[in-house]
Formats: sequence, C-alpha cells, structure tokens
Amino acid sequence: MTAARAKPILEVEGLVKRYGGVHAVDGVSFSVERASITGIIGPNGAGKSTVLGVVSGFLPPTSGRIRFDGDDVTGEPMHRLARRGLVRTFQLARVFGGLTALENLAVAAPRQRGERTLGVLGGRWVWGTEEPGVVGRARRLLHTFGMAASENEYARNLSGGQRRAVEVMRALMTGARLLVLDEPMAGLSPALSRQLEEAFLRLVEEGLSLLLVEHELDTVERICGKVVVMAQGRVLSEGRMAELRLRQEVQDAYVIG
Amino acid sequence: MGAWEFYAVVLLVYLGTNLLSVWGLNLQFGVSGVANLAYIVMVAAGAYTYGVLTLGPDTGNGGFQHYVIGLSLPFPLAVVAAATVGAVVGVLVGLTGLKRLRQDYQAMAMLVVSIMAATVVSADTGLLNGNEGLSLIPNPFADLDPELGRWAYVGVVVVACAAGWIVLRRLTTGPMGRTLRAMRDDEYAAAAIGKDIVVLRLMVQAVGGAFAGLSGALLAAFIGGWSPSAWAYTETLALLTAVIVGGMGSDRGASVGTLVVTILILQGVQFLPQIPSHPGLTEDLGWIVLGSLVILFIFLRPQGLLPERRPSYAETADPGMAEVDAGRRDG
Repeated sequence: MTAARAKPILEVEGLVKRYGGVHAVDGVSFSVERASITGIIGPNGAGKSTVLGVVSGFLPPTSGRIRFDGDDVTGEPMHRLARRGLVRTFQLARVFGGLTALENLAVAAPRQRGERTLGVLGGRWVWGTEEPGVVGRARRLLHTFGMAASENEYARNLSGGQRRAVEVMRALMTGARLLVLDEPMAGLSPALSRQLEEAFLRLVEEGLSLLLVEHELDTVERICGKVVVMAQGRVLSEGRMAELRLRQEVQDAYVIG
Repeated sequence: MGAWEFYAVVLLVYLGTNLLSVWGLNLQFGVSGVANLAYIVMVAAGAYTYGVLTLGPDTGNGGFQHYVIGLSLPFPLAVVAAATVGAVVGVLVGLTGLKRLRQDYQAMAMLVVSIMAATVVSADTGLLNGNEGLSLIPNPFADLDPELGRWAYVGVVVVACAAGWIVLRRLTTGPMGRTLRAMRDDEYAAAAIGKDIVVLRLMVQAVGGAFAGLSGALLAAFIGGWSPSAWAYTETLALLTAVIVGGMGSDRGASVGTLVVTILILQGVQFLPQIPSHPGLTEDLGWIVLGSLVILFIFLRPQGLLPERRPSYAETADPGMAEVDAGRRDG
C-alpha cells in the first residue's frame, strides 16, 4: 500500500458555515479513513446535516478546507464531487419517480456514451454496445439488495424502505468511493435496517468508505469505526461509540441538547 | 384547385409547424421539466429572423414597412439562420433559470420575458415594423404554379418534421432521455449522481429553441406575414395544452395532442356560426375549451391521451450468479 493510499479519503479542516448571523457549523475538523464507516452524532440542531451538505457540495462553505482523496475540493459543486467519487444521499430519499427502479440505477452509471453529443447524434450505433453492461450491472445490484422483482416498478410506487435502497444502489452505480448518507436508517423497520447495515459492512470490506449521520445509536455502535460527536456547530468529542457513551460531555450534550 | 384543397394545404402546414413547436416544448417541459412559458418568443424569433433575412431592404415597396437587416437571402439559408436564432434566444431565456429558481418562479420569470418581448417589438416600429408586423415575406415557391407551389411547400414541411422527429427521438430515448427525465423528476438527486444540470438545461433550451425557430420560419414563409398578434403569450398556453392533453414527456402523445388542440379544436371552432351580436365569440370559445381541457385532464387523466411509455430492457445474462460489481472499478 502506497503512502497516498494510506491517507484518509476525506479530510475536513476548520469548516465554517454561517447562515446570516447564525453559525450552523463553527470550525469543524475530522477525517474519514479508507474502507471504514465514520458516524456523526449529536442532538438536533448540532449542525450534522449541514456538515454533510457542505462536504457533498450541496451547500457552499463559508470557510474551511475539504480534501477528497488528497485533492482540495473546497466549494466544488455536487455534480463534480460525484464524478470524483463522493456521492451523497438525502434525509428523505430522493428517487426519480417517473423512472423505473432499474432506470434509477442505470441513469447513474458514470461517463455513458449515450449522454454525450456524439452519442446523441449517433444513437444506438454509438451507445448500443455499452448499454447491456450498464443494465446488467444495475440488475446485479437490484438482485443483491433483494429488489430484482421490482425492476420495472416506477420508483414513485416503491415503499419507503425500497426508495432508500434505490438511493443507495444508485450511489453505488456511480462508482462512488465515499458514500455520504444522511440518516440512512430513518423510517426503516428494524429488519430492513439490519439488512442495510449488513450491506454497508459488506461494501466496506470491498473497499468503500462511508460517512453517515445517524440518530439510532445502537446502529452507530454496531457499524461505525469512528464516531464524531457534534453539538452547537462544533465537534465535542471523537472516538469509538463504546468509549463515547461513558464520557460526561457527550451525555451532557444529549441531555441538555 | 378548389377551396377545400387549399384549406387542406393550410391545415397540413399548420399541423406540421405546430408539431415542431410542440415537440420542442415537450422536450423542455414534458421530458426535462423546464417550464418554459416564453416558448412562443423563440417561435417568433425564428419567424422574424426568416422575415428580415429573406426580405430586401425596407426602402423597397415604397418603404411602407420598416425593419432591420433586409438581405434577400435564399430560403434554405434563412431557415437555418432562423433555427439558430431560436436556439440562441432559447439559451438566453434559459439563463433566467440558472439561479436555481424553483420551477414555479422560473415559469413566472419566463412568462414575464414573453410579455416584455412582445411589448418591445410592438413599441419599436423601426425594429420589426411594430404592431403592424412584417408582410410580403417571400415564399420559396412564389415562381411556381400556385397549386404546385403549395404542395411543394407541404413537402418541405414534411421533410422538416421527419428530420425533427429523428433528432427528437435521439434525445428522448436511450441514455440521454433517461438523464433528462431524471433531471425533471429531481434535479438535486440528478446533480448528486454527477449530472451537470446547468449544461443539460441549456442544451434542452437550445434544441427546443431550434425547433421553435424552425417552426416559426416555416409558418412565416407560408403565411407571408408575421406580427405580434401571432405570438401573444397565450399561444404558448395552446402549445402547453397540446403537451398536457397528449401526455407529458411522451413524443407520440405530444403529436396527438397537437392534432387535437391546434387543429381539431382551434381550427374547428372557426366553423361554428358567428353570432352577429357577439363578434369574436367563437374564437374565444376555442380558448374556453382549451382551458377546460387542461383542467379536466389534470384532474381525470394527468398522464394524457398517450402516456409516457415504460421502457423495456432486454434480458441480461443471469444476474443472480454473477459476482456483484458495485461499480468501483470505474473509480
């Protein structure tokens, strides 16, 4: 393993996000190691979702620095970060309702020939050979997430849990190396939630990195290697969940916050 | 040549030019989710461009109309120029949406653009002859026998529609169609998977604008005139009605909608008897019918007459057995 490989995939330094006079995020620093799951927890209004928003390019930062895979990506818009391999999901799953489950995945395949000028002009002659590979990859993902039977269902007709799964699979289709997930377990049944946890752990084994905000602390304890505790826009504490549970300042933040 | 044959030619040319503009609007609104209420401005841009490029200097004919340019260009060149100007105006209008305006605000901004453009053109009589509009716009087959010339023109419109259909289908099917529909359904989620919304939106504005410009040019050359009354913002609503009634996002639906709305209804009402005490009532009736149709369809059949089709993908080899590739090989 080279030195560059060993460096964290994501480094956040002194991140500040102000709305008017309010410091939603006030000097946050942390990092995400490769092939690991990092969790951000904290009371409501701690600034967790704002951190995810800024890291994923959804919101521009007021100041601070973000490095992805060694490159400074501060202020880059969402679609550029996605092309680099940093892909987010949303707190309320956002699917393409008028596309089928299969299409929701296929559309996310990176650098498709059919999306370029030449592909549009040339039609099937240009992209026809590439398409079966894209569709095949989407079908394999649907199969592993137990959704093969729903491939032709419009995404607007899927259940909450299935939408969440579609969003995660879609992010994987892009070839993401870091998934940024905003409360991935919210609204899922315990059984579905366990399935998704297992899927995450499997993906991490294959080399993926995850950064997630989650309220369900048992889930966080089960899957996160490192946990960042936030309160009032700042990082309060950092470490493994089991240790954090014992720390006084973390307990205080949850009771007071 | 009988009056009916003449009328058939008129209807065919109207149908063809309307098809081109409804296809362009459906690409923007139905497929890509850009609520372009200024669409008719691009049609007008094409019509005026064709007019001022094919007419000679405005000192001709006793100088009874005033306009800019006046190059006496031949038909094919002027038509290509009109489509290009339509595309450029489309991109300019599209720039109003770049500030990530919500779709409803964007629609309003575009409606204002449409009204402003009509006001400016009407007010400035030296630019495009103001409210009077341009007349004596040259027809390419003016030298032919009138009957032959008219049918030859229908032929030109048919060729333009065939070419337009091919371009349209290239954009609305396959990977590009999928991407545009994804942007329509959720532009943030589309950006989150790497789609450049700004580029896609401007591309759609340009292509839709070219369709509009072509449509306007072909119509102006056929009628021989073009004035602000031909492109009131309500005309956009008629085109929009065709998209909604036919089926948003569906190319075939938009075509059927064009036939129903712009031919059967808007032409059909002209056969109703005029009521002497209420002049203009039958024309207004057309608009009342259109408005009611939009409401009826939105409530009872929002997918339209011929809805967007569910795509079918060919079988791929045994998804269950293959090793799962999460896609990171591309990274």
